[in-house]
Amino acid sequence: MKKKKKRMKVASPMVTVALFAVAMAMLIGSSVGGTKAALTYYSETYTSRIQMYDIGVSLVENEEEVSWRDYNSAGDGTWNEHTGVLLEHMIPEGESLVLGKTYQENLKVRNTGTINQYVRVSIYKYWLDSEGKKRQDLSPALIDLNLVNLGTDWIEDESARTQERTVLYYNKLLCAQGEGQSETPLFADTLTIDGSIAKKVSQETNKTGNYTTIVTTYDYDGISFQIEVEVDAVQEHNAEDAIWSAWGKRVAFHDGVLSLVD
Amino acid sequence: MRKRRYLPAIFALAAVTVAGASVGQAWAYFTTYAEAAGGYTIRLGDRTEIREDFSDWTKHVVIDSQEGSQPVYVRARAFCGSQYELVYSGDGWTQAGDYYYYNDILYGGQETNPLDIRIEGIPETPDKDYFNVIVIYESVPVQYHEDGTAFSVQETDWSQILDTGSTEAGSAEDHGSAEGGDEA
Repeated sequence: MKKKKKRMKVASPMVTVALFAVAMAMLIGSSVGGTKAALTYYSETYTSRIQMYDIGVSLVENEEEVSWRDYNSAGDGTWNEHTGVLLEHMIPEGESLVLGKTYQENLKVRNTGTINQYVRVSIYKYWLDSEGKKRQDLSPALIDLNLVNLGTDWIEDESARTQERTVLYYNKLLCAQGEGQSETPLFADTLTIDGSIAKKVSQETNKTGNYTTIVTTYDYDGISFQIEVEVDAVQEHNAEDAIWSAWGKRVAFHDGVLSLVD
Repeated sequence: MRKRRYLPAIFALAAVTVAGASVGQAWAYFTTYAEAAGGYTIRLGDRTEIREDFSDWTKHVVIDSQEGSQPVYVRARAFCGSQYELVYSGDGWTQAGDYYYYNDILYGGQETNPLDIRIEGIPETPDKDYFNVIVIYESVPVQYHEDGTAFSVQETDWSQILDTGSTEAGSAEDHGSAEGGDEA
């Protein structure tokens, strides 16, 4: 008797095709769900009022919105945005900066979107030379932006603090306009350039014959101070994960009050 | 046999693709931002000079500040031999101690009123080889209160120490005011 050869059973091409079809159906199905949900809002004979979820935030300086970035309520994927200049009106025309004088610099954040949000601000202070290059050897501490409402409304992320940078988190929900408090309390109220910079000099001594010449140069002459403020906003919904994802910071909420998690 | 070996891989690819589609949605949080920056340039430094005229045994001293200099206060005094007496006069100048202080702030491009220093006790035949009257003056940048008002000349600290960043503070060269002078 002829010995029968044992053969491996090969799957039918039809099975492979069927499995592909199942995989494709699963993939397409995951996106069809969203499309289907959108279609339920629309009818040829009935127009419903749809609430758009637009996020927007503005930096407010002395009651004027100086910079903002709001999602366009038309829902076309565009942003209504503007980046302004800080301190533009701090010194009256014809006058010059007075060292040691305390200038008003009220800074706060306004929710200019249609959804509630959580916000934080990052403040940078530094010096620039005449060519616009940062001077790391000059002290940012002499640019005194007076921070207020710390500990009550704004909490500092001390792990992010450097000589140049301060990061503050608003510890409450910032509501959309018409739905509650849509402006934060101030996080800064005055700006003073320390008068002691007029005493900081460099001296060079040169001896020529019987004469000694001492040249005194002011370290801060021709140097510009800069204040930079960045405002970040993130949605209220699923805020802990959203803040972790967007800002890389763990936070916790207790009775609606945000706290930082080390 | 060969075709069957690919089946698990195809399943795995399909599963990852489907899972990936939903993970992407979970990461899509609403966020936005706004930013602004601004600042001003600091202008420091001043250059003052003394001018003198001499007539009728009187020195007429004027101190001017160069255009672009920051505002300063100035004070002046004169020295001479003990056999002579110096009598000061001038609008806007006030004596306090050994110095005469100009009461007003001297802005860049301005000059003081004349400070007249009359030399008295001159002998009938003075020895001009030994006659020597030296005038010195000092200037110091105007300081300001928090409300922006300037310190008065009386409030001004004339012994400010400049910070040279060295440990040799307090040397004569570190004196906060600028000095100048002239002699007759």
